[in-house]
Amino acid sequence: MTAQPPVPSKQKRPFFLRRGPMENIATGLIGLGFLMLFQPFLLIFYTWSLVTLLAGTVMFIIVSKFPE
Amino acid sequence: MTARIRNRTGQFFRMRRFKTQVKSVTDTSSTILGEAVARATPAPIASRIRGLSDRSMAWLFITPAIALLLAVNIFPLIWAIYLSFTNFRANRPNAALESVGLSNYSRVLNDPNIWQAMQTTAHFVFWTILLQTLIGFSLAYLIDRKFRGHAFWTTIILVPMMLSPAVVGNFWRFLYQPQIGLFNHIVSFLTGIPPSSFEMLGSVRLSPWAIIIVDTWMWTPYVMLICLAGLRSIPDYIYEAAEVDRASLWRQFWSITLPMALPFIMLAVLFRGIENFKMFDMVTLLTGGGPGSTTEVASITLKREAFESWRTGRASAFAIILFVAVFGLANIYVKALNKVKQR
Amino acid sequence: MSSTAHSVVEPSVTSKRVAATIVVAYAVITMIPLVWIVLTSFKSPPDSISYPPKIVFQPTLEGYCNLFTTRTRQTPEYIISLGAPTSTCDEITRSRNMVIAGPSNYWPRFQNSLVIAFGSTFLAVSLGTLAAYGFSRFKVPLAEDLLFFILSTRMMPPIAVAIPIYLMYRQLGLSDTALGMILLYTAVNVSLAVWLLKGFIDEIPREYEEAAMIDGYTRMQAFFKVVLPQATTGIAATAIFCLIFAWNEYAFAVLLTSGAAQTAPPFIPTIIGEGGQDWPAVAAGTTIFVVPILVFTILLRKQLLRGITFGAVRK
Repeated sequence: MTAQPPVPSKQKRPFFLRRGPMENIATGLIGLGFLMLFQPFLLIFYTWSLVTLLAGTVMFIIVSKFPE
Repeated sequence: MTARIRNRTGQFFRMRRFKTQVKSVTDTSSTILGEAVARATPAPIASRIRGLSDRSMAWLFITPAIALLLAVNIFPLIWAIYLSFTNFRANRPNAALESVGLSNYSRVLNDPNIWQAMQTTAHFVFWTILLQTLIGFSLAYLIDRKFRGHAFWTTIILVPMMLSPAVVGNFWRFLYQPQIGLFNHIVSFLTGIPPSSFEMLGSVRLSPWAIIIVDTWMWTPYVMLICLAGLRSIPDYIYEAAEVDRASLWRQFWSITLPMALPFIMLAVLFRGIENFKMFDMVTLLTGGGPGSTTEVASITLKREAFESWRTGRASAFAIILFVAVFGLANIYVKALNKVKQR
Repeated sequence: MSSTAHSVVEPSVTSKRVAATIVVAYAVITMIPLVWIVLTSFKSPPDSISYPPKIVFQPTLEGYCNLFTTRTRQTPEYIISLGAPTSTCDEITRSRNMVIAGPSNYWPRFQNSLVIAFGSTFLAVSLGTLAAYGFSRFKVPLAEDLLFFILSTRMMPPIAVAIPIYLMYRQLGLSDTALGMILLYTAVNVSLAVWLLKGFIDEIPREYEEAAMIDGYTRMQAFFKVVLPQATTGIAATAIFCLIFAWNEYAFAVLLTSGAAQTAPPFIPTIIGEGGQDWPAVAAGTTIFVVPILVFTILLRKQLLRGITFGAVRK
């Protein structure tokens, strides 16, 4: 609960420093990694799925430290 | 005093809620005591309350559990990461250990057989989750009608998920026997197909569905139970308001019931996804990955690689890949868990 | 009973009836496999593999006898020379031209299951209660991360850690020992125990301990004499969850044990008779193995939801 006083002049942090949107991007990346791991079409996607998953996971851990 | 309050769990919940705000809100005796602590504790008692410093007390309580996890879970994991960069073979422990860099990873990630196992896993995960969510949510929706005896029938439905997956896999192998098994005879009774004309476990076409059926039988109750909690968390007044607005039942379902139960459904889906992604025991006993490798899900491939081919290094690399995938999902799962907790 | 109740959201009588019919039908269908296994355990081997499957049959204890004994085939003359049978199982075995040669491995495996399940549950709940109390009452640095770390260890695929554990246990002489399995299951269960018990302990007002400490208790005394008695229900529920996990576990058991410390789940599928699987004996072994779980399910039904969501959903 962040019951901040309504100060309209207060600047919002840019989205890449806020937790919410960045967590969604990381979640998307993990999801993409799973799609790449599971798809039956191109071997090259499967090959790079680990990197995608790893990137998503590491990003998730880092951005979960960001303030809301 | 404690005995009296222990029996009144309702009071616990009430107090827990208030506790986080201010310590002296209600008029219960314990809060007065709490207030007394804050107000009138003389210095020597205050230091005795703390005894050791709070931080060292905290570590005293937490360390044993963490230490065990480090020794039995994290240490092996780090070892596996190390092995994944070597050519180690567990059946030849004395052979020279060589670092092979990332080649284990690139082999696993370019191996069409392991890719195939991933697709088998994907097929299994996709269909089990789809079926379990559909059936589980429908059941929860029906049970939420609160007909007479619903608690009893709910308990009956919950039984399969408490059983051992290995034992379940083993006895479904009996039910699936083409001549003597009950499953084929029930299907034949319902559809008229002769019972010995199809083999659930022996045919390439049907065996992936055989494992999906068993998993759905076993884990639908799990999804149902969580969905039921989601449905029950929707306060009545929202429906009452919708009723006042003359919203149709159909509209109520799509704009109230489903969106409000969605975090719970997500929770169930994520957990089942993690569990089925690493599925091993039930499938091993039901089909052992066969016929051929049609039901060879990722964990079975991994087990064969590690304990039958004894390519420990490469198997470790594969294990780390699975671990990274599960770990990523676990992050999302905990996020979903916290979302549900706020309700 | 009319449906014009106080609340407009009370479902109508018809909708309740339809719901009840479908749910009861599902419950009955879902029980068929289990009922079939229990029935099979009371069939004779020929009845169990008859075509079509027999629903009506002459019940016999042969499956249970075969489960607990090993038998050898003998000539009828030899069997007659033994004199009168000494037990029901003896009689059944002899009617198949066999004699009981000795006990089977089922009972020792079952005992292993008991020792390992109870041992690991006790350890996991003890360590879990301490840690949960620590997380609940103190400001632990990085508490969120530690709790996530604890939970994530439970999510690990068993096969992924089994390789190094197998190597580690071989080094330490822990492979195929009850102690090794107890430690392993404790580690897996401790995460569940911490999460569940943290929820339960959070619900106990801290004012109780503070009051006790004003009365001169130390933190430890307050923990043992005030908090533990309050948390009994939660501890019991957690213990049953840990017990069920350890009881049901297969992957670690099959990879890390082979004989002395083997538990029942990897053993049951290996029960074979003459010419293939002895299904009545397998069914009997399954039935005996599953009955405790049925009892626990009924005991736990109110806490089940909490257990499967790591304490997040409290109903």
